[in-house]
Amino acid sequence: MGRRVTLAALVISAVAPLMLLGLWSVGDRWFFPALIPPTFTTDSWRAMLTGQLGAAAVVSGVVALATAVLSCALAMPIGHAVARLSGWRRHMASALAFLPVAAPPIALGLGLQYTFVALDVSGTIVGVIAAHVVPATGFLAIYFSGVFTALDPRIEDEARSLGATPIQVWTRITIPIVRRHIGDALALGFLVSWAQVPLTLVIGGGIVRTLPLAVYDYLRAGETRYAATGALLLTVPPILALLAARRERVAPL
Amino acid sequence: MRLAALVAAPVLIGVLYAVLGALGLVGLDAHGYTTEHVTRILGAGSTWRGIGWSLATATVATAAATITGGAVAIAFRGTRLGDRVARALVAVPLPMPHIVAATLSLVVLAQSGLIARLLYALGAIHSAAQMPPLILDGLGIGYMATMAWKEVPFLSVVAISVLATRGPRLEEVARTLGATPRATLWRVTVPVLWRGLAPAAIAVAIVIAGSFEGAYLLAPSNPLALPLLTYERYRTIDAARRADAYVLVLMGLMLAVIAVVALEWVRARWDAE
Repeated sequence: MGRRVTLAALVISAVAPLMLLGLWSVGDRWFFPALIPPTFTTDSWRAMLTGQLGAAAVVSGVVALATAVLSCALAMPIGHAVARLSGWRRHMASALAFLPVAAPPIALGLGLQYTFVALDVSGTIVGVIAAHVVPATGFLAIYFSGVFTALDPRIEDEARSLGATPIQVWTRITIPIVRRHIGDALALGFLVSWAQVPLTLVIGGGIVRTLPLAVYDYLRAGETRYAATGALLLTVPPILALLAARRERVAPL
Repeated sequence: MRLAALVAAPVLIGVLYAVLGALGLVGLDAHGYTTEHVTRILGAGSTWRGIGWSLATATVATAAATITGGAVAIAFRGTRLGDRVARALVAVPLPMPHIVAATLSLVVLAQSGLIARLLYALGAIHSAAQMPPLILDGLGIGYMATMAWKEVPFLSVVAISVLATRGPRLEEVARTLGATPRATLWRVTVPVLWRGLAPAAIAVAIVIAGSFEGAYLLAPSNPLALPLLTYERYRTIDAARRADAYVLVLMGLMLAVIAVVALEWVRARWDAE
């Protein structure tokens, strides 16, 4: 009995959000207490294709892609180095890597703002990408330290003893072995940036308008239909990532 | 180690600027060394109420999510179809952005939201005003519920993997030694689960306490959660007081450092055993 109720709750928790957002994105003049919208409109979806929502989605996509690639490239050697430490050094390094993840984003953003103004990147896409790279690199460094802990260091030692240069060890041995994890890490880095609000708000200075920021503004303005449409679009990459992760686990090695 | 310090470098730069900013030494409105920002913020009741509110709501939401995640992992650990479906479903909200969760929360929990409409249809309430406010309410019920819903998937996924890797052998030993299923659950399964979940729960509490957009859209304006208080001080039109925000930035970063130390301490203690 309890199991069935829990299972039903899990079904609702997984499926209802998307349905609700979908309905709210097309419901017109849908006031309390109507359970279903009296009329429908597609104006917010048109805004997605041609207007502000679409533009915000493109900015978000560009920022998230760049963040994913940069933070992955930075985090891989860092995670590798952390994985080869032991004892208190390992814990100290993990704590350092976790710090940008744990720092409240608004505090991180305000703390970094002067530096970004001084570098003349405040209010630019480059600045926003650089800001997103900070927590994303922390996340991915922790992720890669886990991946490389599972990798036997003797494989790399062997390559080195056979005369491979450090770069050859990376390109010929390490990267091919963790190839699959790099895909996961890119997805993770993308999602960290894709969901980011406070860092974009502070470093982007209201000039760089990403999709989460657009949804945030619509919600504050009480434009629920537009907010729901943007929110629905925001769920697309996460769901794709989740499906890809599931398929990978099911597929034979 | 040096490479890991590189990851933390932006935070350390942030701390440095926040210290200098809080003391009036850098910043657009800086007029030289002063302790007025520090004394004003430390002396303000709103600071401590904000920190208290952020920590309390993060604790309650994390506790609710941890218990739910653990319960889901225990209830659906088998290999039957229902178990596998449940384990797949529970992960779905995992990668959703916080802003999506907040949007949903407004649509469902607001006084004219879905729950209010259903209650009206059932005759339980006769106007939107009769619906108890769950959004922007003083207790932060809607905020905590949203954060808990958002974090249950992560904690469930961790709990499921903890049980799968560490549970079966110990449980088998307990049963061989004559423990009842009930005793096995409370003396073996739950402690194993708790040990594995504790670091994840601390991480979740950190995320919730630092949440900005969720708090902005769902939490009350009095007391104002720490991240919102920080942003509000930063946005104030009174230029002479703007640097107050840096004191709050430092307090937020300090809390994060304490939480990270706690997290690594918990992990180090259990690694050692």
